[in-house]
Amino acid sequence: MNVTDQDLQYFISALKNYTKYDFSDYSDKSLKRRVEKVLADRNLDVTGLITSIKNSQEFAELIVKEITVNTTELFRDPQTWHLLRSRILPRFKNNKNINIWHAGCSTGQEVYSMMILLNEMELFDKAKIFATDLNSDVLDAAKKGQYKYRFNIGYLDNFDKVIKQNPLNYEEFNDVPYDKYFEIDKAKDTITMKKFLTEKPIFRKHDLVKDGNLFFAKFDLILCRNVIIYFNYNLQNNVFELFHSNLYPKGCLLLGMHETILGPWATKFEKIGQAYVKK
Amino acid sequence: MNQLKGMNFLRNLKMGQRIQLFVFLTVVATYTITGIVLSRFSVINAENTSRNQVSVYINTLQSIVDLQERITKNGIDQTDITALKTHFYKAAFHKTDFPFILSNTGRYLLHITKEDQRIPKDIFVQIASNPNRQGWITVETTQGTEEVYYKYISEYDIYLGITTPYKEIVKDVKQNRFLMILVVTLAIGLFFITVLLIIKPITKTIQQVNDTIKMMALGLEGHKLNREQNDELGQITESLNTLTEGLSRTSHFANELGNNNLNAEFQPLSNEDILGNALISMRNSLKAAEIEEKRRKQEDETRNWITSGLAMFGDILRQNNNNLALLADSVTQNLVNYLNANQGGLFIYNNDDTSNPHLELVSAFAYNRKKFFERTIALNEGLVGTCAVEKNTIYLKEIPDGYITITSGLGEATPTSLLIVPLKLEDTIFGVVEIASFAEFSQHEIEFVEKIGESIASTLFSVKNAIRTTHLLEQSQQQREEMAAQEEEMRQNMEEMQATQEEMARKTIEMEGISKAIDQALIYCELDEDANIFLPNDNLAAAMGYPKHELDGVNLSEIVHISNKKEIAAIRNEIALGAPYKGTLHLINRDGQDLYLHTNISPTFDELGGIYKIILIGQDITESKLLEIKAQKQADEIEANLVEIKAEQQLAQMKENDIKGLLQALDTTCLITEIELSGKITYINNKNVETLGDPKDKIEGKYHRDLDGLAKKSPKEYEAFWNSLLSGISQNRVFSLTVNGIEKWISEHYTPVTDDNGNVTKVINIGFDITDSKEKEKEMQRLIAEIEQLKKNNNK
Repeated sequence: MNVTDQDLQYFISALKNYTKYDFSDYSDKSLKRRVEKVLADRNLDVTGLITSIKNSQEFAELIVKEITVNTTELFRDPQTWHLLRSRILPRFKNNKNINIWHAGCSTGQEVYSMMILLNEMELFDKAKIFATDLNSDVLDAAKKGQYKYRFNIGYLDNFDKVIKQNPLNYEEFNDVPYDKYFEIDKAKDTITMKKFLTEKPIFRKHDLVKDGNLFFAKFDLILCRNVIIYFNYNLQNNVFELFHSNLYPKGCLLLGMHETILGPWATKFEKIGQAYVKK
Repeated sequence: MNQLKGMNFLRNLKMGQRIQLFVFLTVVATYTITGIVLSRFSVINAENTSRNQVSVYINTLQSIVDLQERITKNGIDQTDITALKTHFYKAAFHKTDFPFILSNTGRYLLHITKEDQRIPKDIFVQIASNPNRQGWITVETTQGTEEVYYKYISEYDIYLGITTPYKEIVKDVKQNRFLMILVVTLAIGLFFITVLLIIKPITKTIQQVNDTIKMMALGLEGHKLNREQNDELGQITESLNTLTEGLSRTSHFANELGNNNLNAEFQPLSNEDILGNALISMRNSLKAAEIEEKRRKQEDETRNWITSGLAMFGDILRQNNNNLALLADSVTQNLVNYLNANQGGLFIYNNDDTSNPHLELVSAFAYNRKKFFERTIALNEGLVGTCAVEKNTIYLKEIPDGYITITSGLGEATPTSLLIVPLKLEDTIFGVVEIASFAEFSQHEIEFVEKIGESIASTLFSVKNAIRTTHLLEQSQQQREEMAAQEEEMRQNMEEMQATQEEMARKTIEMEGISKAIDQALIYCELDEDANIFLPNDNLAAAMGYPKHELDGVNLSEIVHISNKKEIAAIRNEIALGAPYKGTLHLINRDGQDLYLHTNISPTFDELGGIYKIILIGQDITESKLLEIKAQKQADEIEANLVEIKAEQQLAQMKENDIKGLLQALDTTCLITEIELSGKITYINNKNVETLGDPKDKIEGKYHRDLDGLAKKSPKEYEAFWNSLLSGISQNRVFSLTVNGIEKWISEHYTPVTDDNGNVTKVINIGFDITDSKEKEKEMQRLIAEIEQLKKNNNK
């Protein structure tokens, strides 16, 4: 099912008119592919899809959930976590509190990775973790903190790379047992986060397009990884502005491996490795 | 009616009375008839006797007459008559029966009274007409009936006769009649009394018999009668008594039978006693029927037991047929209960692992077999294993010691019987059921278990299948779901990668545009860690006056003014530490001329924070620098201004990676305007706002031609300018405008940005605020003019 630019515009305006979501500043190409996927899955055409969206809020909500992308894993991109461990988090060592916002936390693996790392760095108690996503389903999954084991064995490698090993010193090896943080049940094919982890973060539904800062706090660290790739330049800049205005001075923004700030907000940040530090 | 009445009367008479009446009438009639007949016979006899006597008398008289005649001869004459008188005047036998002689004319020749009289003519006719010439006739006379006997004597032609009055003939007979009647009456009476005496007891007996029979006829039990006679009636009574007694016994027996006492004693009345024998045979049939009934009842019970058992287990097997353990529990428990057994266990044949097929105890009821704590039994092991292999029921009434015990509150005991039945279906074994009991199992119970065994086997088979199917279904469903989830995840990963690529591609394009703009507007080169130049751009080459390749590899310190050489070393150190450098470098070009560059040297870092490359961006400020120097030389205030200008002219800000460093530098140093092909301004940077004083929202979204001075002054020239841009040719120009009353000079460098295909996508204008230089130029010109004026004046 091919979706033309016009179809996409109809779809976006239908969502805008009948739901609280505004996808007009999302990346066209990506959004188009997602809509095509939804149409194929549901065996609908664009007109049918739009009609259904008009008729049912629930359906619209479902579609929004389906077109959003929720890719995440434990300790994704280990070098990012090395950076956090070696250069970013130590900056907050003497803070009284460390406020961390995971914007677009998806199913929460990043949140748990962060907490595990914080715990290993003995910063866990100082940290306040806020996690948001547009999709309430993935938020529920995140709150539950339970993941498929079989598809995610790679998680454990990442865990080893980030927690057990030190890339700067290969002789160092911290044998942190997995069951310190999660339980693996191979029979049930689950990895389940421990309770002290699942009960810490505050999970909220949040739309980066329009919701601003939901929390009455500024942040020391904002992680928004692999989110802005779905946004166009304009929306990217809006989001950068939002992050910039809600970071403490010297607060850090961490984007995905292949995401960079271009344009006007670039100069407002200093870059440390992958991380952007508010000037 | 009278006849009927008579009949009824007769009918209503009792037997005795009837016999009495009958006897009486018969006797009377008999006697009467006999009397009459006898009397009549006497009369006839008397008549005949009389006639015979008369005939003899007449014959005698004839002889007398003959005698007389012989004496006298010549016929009968008077003398004869007189002689004969003595004979004729005396009565013959009775008082008045006098003989007579009658002439052939009918005149009495001789008669005691009627001599010479004539006999009545009609009588004489009768006599004379009789051919036999003798006989008698009856004559009615006034004296009564008389019989006239006569005989013709032809020799004499006379009739001899006697007239006898009838009275006299029957006189004796009539005298006997009364006596006879008396005798008869007496005889009757005597007879009647005799009859009565004889009949009375008979009728009484008959009456009694009758009453008894009547009672019996009504179904009552007859009385026992006294036997009074030894005759047939006596026998009747006897028989009746026997009958009554027999009936009584029979009815008693029948009652007993009725009360279902089939064992009551009864002797038939005789061998030929129909009723008795019938009753006995009935009793026997009843007994047989009872036995049969009992047997059938038992059979029915057995059948019912089996049927309801089958039904019950049918139900049990139908339920729970997706849970093997629950099913087995239910089956075992119910089987043990239904058989009134004491314990039971159900083993399921498990051949999932073909190398080790075994029996698995899945359910146990009151099971207490130490042996089976392990719960699995290999084939051929023990009784259960043997049963599974041989597929035959094992029934033991003697159980090996310690094989199995039944534990209750009272202790342990070995059960008396053990039943092990294979659960098989068409010779395929599905399991074994073992039941132990203190009671023995009957054949039908064993058969029942075997039969149930088949059902259980069949259910186990289907349940196993169903469970396996369900399991497979679930598995495949799960796999499908997992695949779908995985697919979706992969799709999302793909999407992310693609989105990332697109984002990067977009940025690449943007950066290429920016690089191009920078390349065209600014001096650009990269440095290695030792500050050797490589990849210099045309602007640098042009400014330095070297061909590009000659600049490649030249150390920065080699081309700077001697005064800057030390600084270069310092910069190198700073850069190595990751700090960018910003400042004005004084270079010497090929021609030995001074070249002032406002320079930004930024290191860019890789992911691990190591230095990836070092970028140098510079703006040629030689012109203004030179002017500044000139001005400084000429005026302190100008110099002072120049210091300010320097500060203001710290334009570029550093970049943290190669592109961002550029942008930063560009953004802070230059006035950046992005214009769409339509001429619509999409972006101006802060420097632009800062320099020209118009807020962003006033400029962004407006069209360039509406704001541009040239377009207003000379539309044609503007059109040419714009078309050049659209065709991809960069344009430089300088213009001035007044901001807040201050005249500003801007040097603009319009660069068209092209996409992969070389199509122009937008135009970026990088402008430099050259107001200071211009002002200084003007100031200088003014000073020069002043000097000229002074010169002139001096000359004058």
